[in-house]
Amino acid sequence: MDKEFKHFEFHGNAKEYFRIWIVNIALTILTFGIYSAWAKVRTNRYMYANTYLNGSNFEYNADPVRILIGRIIVFTFYILFIIFGQHLMMFEVAAGIAILAFLAMPWLIRQAVSFKLRNTSYRHVPFRYVGRTRDFYAFFLTHGLLNIFTLFLAFPFSYVRFKELVLRNSRYGQGEFDFKGKVQSVYEIYFSIIGWMMLVAIALGVVMALLSGIALESSGVGLESIASSGMLGDENANAEDVAPMVTGLVSILMIFIYLPLIFGQKGLSDAYFSNYVRNHTSLETAPFRGDINIFKLAWISISNVFAIIFSLGLLYPWSQIRYLKYKLEHTSFSCQDYEQFESFGYEQGTTVGEEMMDFFDIDIGL
Amino acid sequence: MIIEALLYDGKSSKEHKVEIEFTANRRVVILSHDIDVSLDEVEIESRLGNTPRVIEFDNGIRCKSKENDKIDKVLKKFGLSKSKAYKIESSLGLTIGSVLVTIGFIWFMLTTGSTYTANALASILPKSTLDKVSDITMEQLEDNYLHPSKLSDRQKRIIQGHFDRLTKGETNYKLHFRSSPQIGPNAFALPSGDVVLTDQLVALSQDDDFRDILGVLAHEKGHVVRKHSLRIAIKTGISGAIIGYITGDVSVLASTIPTVLINSSYSREFEHEADEYAVKELKMMNVSTEYIAKLFEMLDKKYGKDGNSSSDIMGMFASHPLTSERIDYFKSYIK
Repeated sequence: MDKEFKHFEFHGNAKEYFRIWIVNIALTILTFGIYSAWAKVRTNRYMYANTYLNGSNFEYNADPVRILIGRIIVFTFYILFIIFGQHLMMFEVAAGIAILAFLAMPWLIRQAVSFKLRNTSYRHVPFRYVGRTRDFYAFFLTHGLLNIFTLFLAFPFSYVRFKELVLRNSRYGQGEFDFKGKVQSVYEIYFSIIGWMMLVAIALGVVMALLSGIALESSGVGLESIASSGMLGDENANAEDVAPMVTGLVSILMIFIYLPLIFGQKGLSDAYFSNYVRNHTSLETAPFRGDINIFKLAWISISNVFAIIFSLGLLYPWSQIRYLKYKLEHTSFSCQDYEQFESFGYEQGTTVGEEMMDFFDIDIGL
Repeated sequence: MIIEALLYDGKSSKEHKVEIEFTANRRVVILSHDIDVSLDEVEIESRLGNTPRVIEFDNGIRCKSKENDKIDKVLKKFGLSKSKAYKIESSLGLTIGSVLVTIGFIWFMLTTGSTYTANALASILPKSTLDKVSDITMEQLEDNYLHPSKLSDRQKRIIQGHFDRLTKGETNYKLHFRSSPQIGPNAFALPSGDVVLTDQLVALSQDDDFRDILGVLAHEKGHVVRKHSLRIAIKTGISGAIIGYITGDVSVLASTIPTVLINSSYSREFEHEADEYAVKELKMMNVSTEYIAKLFEMLDKKYGKDGNSSSDIMGMFASHPLTSERIDYFKSYIK
C-alpha cells in the first residue's frame, strides 16, 4: 500500500471574493441585517466550493432561512440581557438569562459542531455528527471543575479530550474519524509558544529601553500640555480622561507593538495546533497530514492585519483568502479510494448553537 | 445545448462524468443515467464567482459543472433570470455602488447618524434609565473624587441663580457644588442633567458676578442637550463593531486602539458643539462671551504654558480643542 498524500487545493481568488464580500455587506446594511444570513451562506459556499481534494470540491448546504431564525433567537436573548442588565438595572432578570445561556452551553456547542458538519458535503455525501448531548454535559462539568481546581494547568489534557469528543464522533458517510493525539504534545506546544513569545518580549524590552531614553528628554514638555488639555467638559471626570495626549501616543505605540504580538501569536498557535490535529486525525485508515510552517503563518497573520488597517478594511477579503489558501494547501490527506463512502442523507436541525458561536465569535475549532 | 458535468447520485461518493443536454422543448436529459425531466423540475443554484454550478434533481441526484457561462446562456434562452446576488456581484457599477453604500453607511453612523440614533434611543429608553445610570456614576464620583464645597453662600447663590435662569422651565437639571483637588478646575454634566462644578474652577473666576461660570454652565448644558454621552457610546460601539468585524477578532486590545483614536477626535467635535451652544445661550441672556474667554485665558496661563505650541500630536489627540482656539472662538463673539 503506497501512502500517497494529496494536498488540498484552494481556488478562491481575492478579486472575485471582494465583490461577493462587499455586496454582502451592502445588502446587509440595506436590509437592516436580514440579508446577513444569506451573506453567510454565500461566503461559506464560496469558500467550500473553492476547496478541492483529489479534483473534487466541497459543498456548503445550509439553508439561509434557518440561519436567520437562529440569529434572531440569539440576538433577541442578547438584547434582552443588555436591556435588563444595563438599562433597566434589573439584575435578577439579566442574571437569569445569563444562567439560562450558561446551562444551555454544552448543548449549544454540540449543536454548533453538528450543524457545521451536517451542512458540509463532499461529492454529495454529507458529514455527520453522532456525539451525544449528555457527553457534552459530562465533558464540560468534569473539565470545567478540573480546570478551576488546577488553575487551567490541565487545559492541554482537556483540549485533547475535547478533540476526541468532536472528532471520534464525526462521520463522513459511513466512514469514521479518529483522533489519537497525546496530551504531552499539547504541553510541548504551549511551552514552544511561550518560549517564542518570551524571546520576542526580551527583544522588545531591549528596543523599548533604547527608545525610552529618547522619550525621557521630551517628557518635561509633555506633562504640562497634559495639564492644559483636561479642562472643562469631561463627561465623566475619570482620572484617565486627563491624559488624552498620552493615550494618543500609547495607541500608536500599541498598534506597532501589540498588534504584531497578538496576531503573530495567533498565527503561531494556529499553525502549531492545526498541524497537531491534522497529524493525529484519520478517516478510517486514511490519515491527514499538516505541514504548515509556523513562522510563515505568523507572518501571514501579522501582515494581514496591517494590510487591513492601511487599506481601511478593503483588503480584508484578500487577507482572508490568503490565510485560508496557505493553511489548506499545507494540509493533505492520503486515501486509497475516494468512491467508497455511502451517504446517510441530509438532515436539518436547530441553528441556534451555530449562530451563538458566530455572534460571540467563539471558535470551537473544527 | 450540451454541458459537461460531474454527477453524484447522493447515495455514495462515486463520481460520474456526464453530459447534460438542455433540449429546445425545456427538457433536461442525461442519457447515460436515463434522466429526462422538465427544466422546471431541476434546481440550478445561483452562480457564485466561478465555482462549479450545482444542478439539483428531484431524486437526490446532484450534478456540478464548471461551464458557468454556458449555463447562464441556457437560463437566459429559457427566460429564467440569473440570481440577483450574482447580477450585483458581476456588475462593476453595482460593486462600486456597494462600496459606496458601505462607506456611506459607516460615515453616516459615525457622524450625523449617531445623533439620530441617540435621539431615537433616548426617546425609547425610559427617563428613569438615564437617571439611574447617572446616579450610579455620580455615586462613584462622590466616593472617589468629590468633597463638600467650601464656597461661600453668596457665591453659591449667584451661581445657582445663573443656573436657574439657564435652565428655566426644565426641571431635570440640577447643579452640584463640590470641591475636588484631584480633578482640579473643571465642570461636567451627566446625561440626567446633573451638573457638577468644582470650587477650584470657581476660584479662577475673574468676574464678581460669575458671568464666566455662567458660560461654563451653558457649555455643560450643551453637552446634555446634544446628548453627547449617548452619542459617544453609540459611536464607540459602532467603531468597535466595525473593527471587530474586519479583524475577525473581538480581542479587547485590538478593538480599543481605534476607539481611543476615534474618541479623542469626537470629543473635540463635541466640545465645539457645546461651545456653540454656550455662545447661543449667552447671547439670548445678553451676557458677553468675553467673561468665559477670560476664564479660559486664565486657565491657559495657569495650567498650559505651552498651550500655543500646538505640536501635531497635540492637535490630533487632545481631547479638547486647543485652549487658544477656544479663546479665539469666544472672543470672535464679543461685540
